[in-house]
Amino acid sequence: METKLLTEHYHVENFHTLTGYQAKGGYEVLKKALKLQPQQIIDEVKASGLRGRGGAGFPTGTKWGFLPKNNEPRYLLCNADEGEPGTCKDRVMMERAPHQLIEGMVISGHAVGSKKGYIYVRGEYVHVIRILETAVKEAYAAGFLGKNILGSGLDFDLDVYGGAGAYIVGEETGLISSLEGDKGQPKLKPPFPAVQGYLRKPTIVNNVETLAAVVPILKDGAAAYRKYGTEKSPGTKLFSLSGNIVRPGNYEVPLGYSLSDFIQKEGGGMRPGRKLKAVIPGGSSAPVLTADEVAKANLDYESLAGLGSMLGSGAVIVIDDSQCMVDLLGVLMHFYHHESCGQCTPCREGTGWLDKILHSILEGKGRLQDIDLLLKVADNMKGRTICALSDAAALPVLSFVTKFRDEFEYFVREGRSKVKGKAHAQMHH
Amino acid sequence: MFQLSASAQEKIRSEMKRYETKESAIIPSLFVAQKENNGWVSDEVLQALAKLMEIPHSRIHEVFKFYTMFNQKPVGRNHVQVCTNISCAVNGGRELADHVCKELKVGYEEMTDDGRFSVSKVECLGSCTTAPMMQVNEKYYENLTPESAMNILRGLK
Amino acid sequence: MPKCTINGQEIEVPAGSTIIEAMHGSGQHIAHYCWHPGLSVAGVCRLCMVEIEGNPRVQIACNTAVTEGMKINNTSAKVKEAAKWGLDFHLINHPLDCPICDQAGECGLQDQYMEFGKYDPEMAERKVKKHKVVDLGPTVVLDSERCILCSRCVRFTTEVSKTNELGIFNRGDRSEIGVVEGKPLDNKYSVNTVDICPVGALTSKDFRFRQRVWYLKDADTVCNGCSTGCNVKTYFNREGLFRVKPVHNKDVNGYWMCDEGRNLYQYANREHRYVKAMHRENGAWTEMTPGAAAKEIAKFVKGAGDKAALVLTGQYTNEEYARVLQLWSTEVKSKKVYHWNSHEKTAADFDGLLIRGDKNPNTKGLQAALQQHQLSGTWAELEAGLQSGQIHTVVVAGPENLQFAADFEAKVALINKAKKVVWMQTAKHAALEKMSTDVWIMPMKSYLEKDGTFVNYSGRAQNFKRVTTIVSEALNLTEAMELFAGNQLTIRPQSDVLVESDRPADRVRLEHRKKNEFVFRRGPL
Repeated sequence: METKLLTEHYHVENFHTLTGYQAKGGYEVLKKALKLQPQQIIDEVKASGLRGRGGAGFPTGTKWGFLPKNNEPRYLLCNADEGEPGTCKDRVMMERAPHQLIEGMVISGHAVGSKKGYIYVRGEYVHVIRILETAVKEAYAAGFLGKNILGSGLDFDLDVYGGAGAYIVGEETGLISSLEGDKGQPKLKPPFPAVQGYLRKPTIVNNVETLAAVVPILKDGAAAYRKYGTEKSPGTKLFSLSGNIVRPGNYEVPLGYSLSDFIQKEGGGMRPGRKLKAVIPGGSSAPVLTADEVAKANLDYESLAGLGSMLGSGAVIVIDDSQCMVDLLGVLMHFYHHESCGQCTPCREGTGWLDKILHSILEGKGRLQDIDLLLKVADNMKGRTICALSDAAALPVLSFVTKFRDEFEYFVREGRSKVKGKAHAQMHH
Repeated sequence: MFQLSASAQEKIRSEMKRYETKESAIIPSLFVAQKENNGWVSDEVLQALAKLMEIPHSRIHEVFKFYTMFNQKPVGRNHVQVCTNISCAVNGGRELADHVCKELKVGYEEMTDDGRFSVSKVECLGSCTTAPMMQVNEKYYENLTPESAMNILRGLK
Repeated sequence: MPKCTINGQEIEVPAGSTIIEAMHGSGQHIAHYCWHPGLSVAGVCRLCMVEIEGNPRVQIACNTAVTEGMKINNTSAKVKEAAKWGLDFHLINHPLDCPICDQAGECGLQDQYMEFGKYDPEMAERKVKKHKVVDLGPTVVLDSERCILCSRCVRFTTEVSKTNELGIFNRGDRSEIGVVEGKPLDNKYSVNTVDICPVGALTSKDFRFRQRVWYLKDADTVCNGCSTGCNVKTYFNREGLFRVKPVHNKDVNGYWMCDEGRNLYQYANREHRYVKAMHRENGAWTEMTPGAAAKEIAKFVKGAGDKAALVLTGQYTNEEYARVLQLWSTEVKSKKVYHWNSHEKTAADFDGLLIRGDKNPNTKGLQAALQQHQLSGTWAELEAGLQSGQIHTVVVAGPENLQFAADFEAKVALINKAKKVVWMQTAKHAALEKMSTDVWIMPMKSYLEKDGTFVNYSGRAQNFKRVTTIVSEALNLTEAMELFAGNQLTIRPQSDVLVESDRPADRVRLEHRKKNEFVFRRGPL
């Protein structure tokens, strides 16, 4: 049930150029939006029920409403850091349709009263940065950016900023710190970015897809947008489907779509001779679902939350029965240990501890109490830190160990993987 | 004695004016300086930047050590970074990395004797749907097999 | 002024206060590492957990503002569990260095560990190894493994000393405090970072391995390094003084003190002091007790009239000046009193934080006393008097902190012109022993061994009590002058009422002294 709302023209060869974009009606919505009052745009976005597409799923219109209602200068930052393992949807959007993002940002800038925006792109996406810089230049030349856009009297300046390799700058205040020229460490909240963000000015940080979605919402209206998706999760979303699957790729589907259908129809199902074992539905930080739970799941915020997981960034990682869950948890724990910024103690020490315990088990040196210790440590890393990386490390531990405990106990007792038959050291150095 | 070329200095100066504060230019400037120093950042590079940008050395040093794209020791002309995070791991990313090391006869975080390659295992590069994959310097190479990866690498100078 | 309830106690706090400020101000205890009232909020140790009614999650107290009617507690089981795990995470990679760590006995981790229950660690993996004994600069040593990355020291060098030497490098549990090549931790306030470090990660080279803190007593006094008069706490035992730390005073020095003032205590220890009186006559030095020397001195000082001149430095207490000037006028019958103002030209200098250009703690006190007695002699008059021979005898109350008396040797040479010199001095100085004239050197008590008052640069009078006695043979200025005036010395208590103190140690001491009358009444020397 692929739906082509955002991605309608992504297959068109030159859609990433200004000419190609305008040929398909690009920037017409901007012309329309510039004639509206900022509050009208905010109301339309609120009515559409659009929720942040980066991972947190916070209602976008509500977030915009937190800004002070005065003339204080404020910034609009696009979070294109895309570091959540399993996620590559924003990359596709920026590669194929940079102008869609730019148009969305100008409209959003108008809505929130911002005159300056940045697109913060992760440093590894070198080619994406180049594409965006070219598109921004084109937009300036055509008068869609800069002073007095299309004679409306409104200004909006946009620039592209490249990061340098840190997952934590995907956190909105981590991104702000990095853009300010500091280490990308998240800031204490309160104060919240809408009140005090970039350079202590009111700031809105939105995901690439969220800002791009403003274009169709303004084009056909909130009611039309709500025709897709569910009551509480309206609209469409891009999902990155990866892992042990026949047709991995980025697909736009309406929210509420059945996860099983997504895997079977769009994804082509399991590889020959393989059975579905588990799915991580929303990027590595989302609790894993067993095959039984997958059968009950729909791709929307409520359904997945109801199953104890989350929609997150929309990265669906499929795991089949050839994989050892202890091994995969080890991969994730290594990731969070590597990426913790180190500011607050529970996360800094906890991610290291979890990684080491997993490593001991994977080397065949685990103790039986290590399994419960993993749960205890993870439990006490939740909800006690400056940002959610600590929770993001804890949730996989809690879900993997609880749902696949037999594999952990086997590994500890036998000193090797139940699935792969070997200890880690014999597999990878 | 490391010195920033005139063009590098100009690029850095323009970056310092590009953003709201000159501190924002630290990351772009480190990239510029790293390119001038054969792909890595030494203490001399940091001192040169601190002097040119008039920003405390400790501040630039903190930023340098925080981000993974700044290399703390010399890297090969082709810095091979193989993703080993989850989507790539279930598609043989770690085996691919081991294979590359074996074929190039080099260890992880090490450089070949002729300076042509260095190999690292890295975290998610945002190419999960085309796993397994690797990044060499600035380019992504996706949908790899052990053979196709080696073919690509053998063709690089 | 919102009202809140903390652990059942209702408190009113200034608007905008955070919970931890409210607790700190009302004397309630909450475990914390990274928060410091003199620095910005970091919120990284996650130890100051509190439970707020209406909020299911525990919150940190240092970054949560108090709102009207807020009900807070940090005694519930939920909070204790959160704090216990907060501590656990600090300990899992912490080295078991207590036997060799200076901080033992005053360590935040030890204190919290004792408070939250002495439990066995659950961490069975290898601990993270980091650099130990890192030389950060001339005064501070770092042990990265002990460091809990509270960032207090980094915030200090950014916000207070504004010298930006320290940073935190690397990510995650590889993070380490450090300095960069060519820029060590070397500013005038460096050792404050050792004070604020909750653990033994930063240690002072001066104090390292010298003494266990439980063998030290402490007493508050003021610093005599300059006219700021920072409030300090000295640490000492029978061997002498070991270190000095600042005490918070919001009107004088805030939370800090400078390194120069911190190192001054060394001159007061016995090995640097004059212990016996010395007399040089006909090229030979003889030693005797101060009492005996004073008897001899009285013979030519008492009633000497304007042949005798008194030179005073701004390093003695108001009480001493009052009595001394009175005696000089009535018993010595001289009007010649001169102020050795060693830092007259630089007195107005100020480095913006604490250090002032007048390296005398009580210049204002001396000036006020001189004015009160209408003594306005200038230094030029003294020089003229010595030159002409009109001034025969000079009695000098020399400076204690010799580090700052840059003109000491020059002044000694000048005063050497007199026929007879009585030089009262605390710490030894070679220049005195090179004097060629008939000179008496009297051992003096340092200000640490006296009760008294110093008046700082802004006119603030600060009263301090005796810290300890290091050289019991020495005299204070009042006692010396009494003897020179031919009086007997009796120990007069400050008042006739024995003052009760609430320190248990003092109470015991007082009881003991009351019983031992023989000690209490000292006869003539």
